[in-house]
Amino acid sequence: MIARFASIAAVLLALGTSTALAQSKDTLTIDLPNDAATLDPHLQWDTDSYTIYRNIFDNLLTRDAKGEIVPQIATSWKYIDDKTLEFQIRDDVAFQDGSKLTAEDVAYSVNRIIDPALKSSQLSQFDQIEKAEAVSPTVVRMTTKSAYPALLAQLVKLSIVPKAYVEKVGAEQFNLKPMGSGPYKVNRWQKGIETDLDANDNYWRGKPPFEHVVFRAVPDVSTRVADLKTGKADLIQALSADHAAALKDEPDVNVLSVPTERVGYLYLNALAGPTKDVRVRKAISYAIDRQGLIDALLQGYGTPVNIIGAPPIFGYTDKVEGYPYDPDKARELVKEAGAEGAKLEFLTSPAYNRALVEAIQQMLNDVGFDTQISSSDQATFLSRRQGDPENAGSMAFGRWSCACQDADGVIQPLFRTGSIWSKYSNPEFDKVIDDARSTLDKDRRLQDYQKAYEILNDDVPGVGLYQEYTISGASKHLKWQPTPNEALFIMDMSWQP
Amino acid sequence: MLNYAVQRLVQAVVAIFGVLTIVFVVMHLSGDPTLLLVPQDATAEMIADLRHQLGFDRPIWVQYLDYLRGLAHLDFGTSVVQHVSALDIVLSRVPYTVALAAGALVVAIGIGIPAGILMATKRGGWLERFLTAVVVTGQSVPTFLSGIVLIFVFGVTLRWLPTSGSGDFASLIMPSIALGAVSMSTFARMTRISIIDELGKDYVRAGRARGLSLGSVVVRHVLRNAAIPVITIAALEIGNLLAGAVIIETVFAWPGIGQLAIQSIQSRDFLVVQVIVLLISFVYVLTSVLADFVYALVDPRIRMVR
Repeated sequence: MIARFASIAAVLLALGTSTALAQSKDTLTIDLPNDAATLDPHLQWDTDSYTIYRNIFDNLLTRDAKGEIVPQIATSWKYIDDKTLEFQIRDDVAFQDGSKLTAEDVAYSVNRIIDPALKSSQLSQFDQIEKAEAVSPTVVRMTTKSAYPALLAQLVKLSIVPKAYVEKVGAEQFNLKPMGSGPYKVNRWQKGIETDLDANDNYWRGKPPFEHVVFRAVPDVSTRVADLKTGKADLIQALSADHAAALKDEPDVNVLSVPTERVGYLYLNALAGPTKDVRVRKAISYAIDRQGLIDALLQGYGTPVNIIGAPPIFGYTDKVEGYPYDPDKARELVKEAGAEGAKLEFLTSPAYNRALVEAIQQMLNDVGFDTQISSSDQATFLSRRQGDPENAGSMAFGRWSCACQDADGVIQPLFRTGSIWSKYSNPEFDKVIDDARSTLDKDRRLQDYQKAYEILNDDVPGVGLYQEYTISGASKHLKWQPTPNEALFIMDMSWQP
Repeated sequence: MLNYAVQRLVQAVVAIFGVLTIVFVVMHLSGDPTLLLVPQDATAEMIADLRHQLGFDRPIWVQYLDYLRGLAHLDFGTSVVQHVSALDIVLSRVPYTVALAAGALVVAIGIGIPAGILMATKRGGWLERFLTAVVVTGQSVPTFLSGIVLIFVFGVTLRWLPTSGSGDFASLIMPSIALGAVSMSTFARMTRISIIDELGKDYVRAGRARGLSLGSVVVRHVLRNAAIPVITIAALEIGNLLAGAVIIETVFAWPGIGQLAIQSIQSRDFLVVQVIVLLISFVYVLTSVLADFVYALVDPRIRMVR
């Protein structure tokens, strides 16, 4: 009992000092909805963990402001053959304990994450890699199971961990006291509360812009907004469109927003229920007023799309005609299919914008369907959405990003026969996307995806709704441009008093 | 007395065990965390692999026995989300929950009991009407609203108090008031009712007849007798304050176990949920046992019977 009171006192004291720090100028405070689940960058990859640990570790490759894949720890790369790729590794990078980063560490990082024993939830992003080996201290050779064009895009997400340190302290300690080669090192991690980072003054890309960075876990969006208004936070993430609109009139605050590679879409069940009829699926496409949804519910933070894919992805095309909003045509198709009053089950969970789901429900009922919303918790929603087509409802709203900016990461998992998300099967479609996956020829891949999107447009196993925007709120003094892949690198920020 | 204590203890263990089992079964029947852990481009085989790695593909009774075996060795397991000991995760949040519950209890008792006494003794006046309004407001305004209103008024507009966090004493004030308000109303109503009840009894009339003022009868005799139901309420309220702060903790970003519970349930982090359930049922049982002993201290009649 005494120990408990002592720990309360310690908590109050410790927190007293941390607020004092937060008020000084050299500390940047960022409010996220949650704290990192793990800081070992090879375990969890939920948005909040990812946001924090990517500032502690370097990546093998990265993307520049234009979205092009550019060197980071690797300086250059070349294909030996279709399945073998060699990376030249920088020789001037040190980990935060002063030890040198070598090709060994890079190879170790790849082999660690693809080892099933690690139970990494990121395995599926790297599982096309068969192995990685250090050929020399500055050269790493990676072998893939087959020719794999999305490899570089996936490696943008690979954090490099120090082999010697991880092996010395073990996985559990490495997660609690992570150490990388990135611009920030962990000062103190109060799990579930906040993560305090200190600048790595010897960082190879130059001095980081802030001496200290504090990531706080603030689950309620209204509270994050209050923190920003009062200066308790300098940057707040995961803002809703309504809150962003309300912040626009605040004098000391900027709303930062950028169109991302994430696409809002509607999946339609092409294998079971009323939506098995392609006319019903086409009617649904015609019935939705995308611009109306964006204006009314997203406060303009969105751009309508004709396909399930957004402009930043490789393979995006605007040459597919799509289905403009035309309720009369939709009603005609409903009548033609004999689907007046057909019961459509609309699966959803609290993770998705309820207003949007209800607005779509209303639009579909207006053209003659009887749409019913089935809401369940996220785990149950996923097990139905990814399960047997007979039980997967008629449709569901989704927000998709592979964080790899490639159509391979979008329509392959969503619509390839046999994929857990797919409630659709068309051998012709499978053939073109498989071809796009197994060649390194960019033009051939572009042609394949053009074809694939045309097939999807005819078969309508899903409806592209809009390109999503990220919305952050920031102090007027913070200079930062968010990127389409929703990354948050402190190195890209600066402060102007 | 000893017999009674042993009996209560056995009941307590059975109750905790029952709660644990029910929660285990319900959580596992409604699916496992694998789907929430994998990236969206995972294939069915990868999901099956991870499920196997995590042991969720075993029959539920095997998982249950495995869990009990661990429990017998005081091993509460490892969080599948955070990859650290579930017990450590929960214990790191306990001080915050205790601090918030204590703050809320101070608000609830400090305002609720005096308000109840005044409402019972100054019946019919403007004071009673005013206090009734306060009590009804405290009871009926939902915490998600009162929390936001407090933040907007005292945090954003007046800037007297921090808008969120667990930084210092100042950041404890608003969540304590928001959380304590509901309990405050309960205390005020219970105190009022049980004092009015006592005021109708003969010993009060006898006291007044001897020339004592109403105030001194209340302070010297009535309060003691009216305390029993209030103590019962207090015991239940402590349990509620520890377990029921989910919304307040979320609104104020206060890192207590309520917030942890909701996050762990959403992410199906079973073992963390189990530790929280264990802890909360333990607190409920403990406070109700303690309340029994306090009755005996306050009221000699109860002591004699046993």
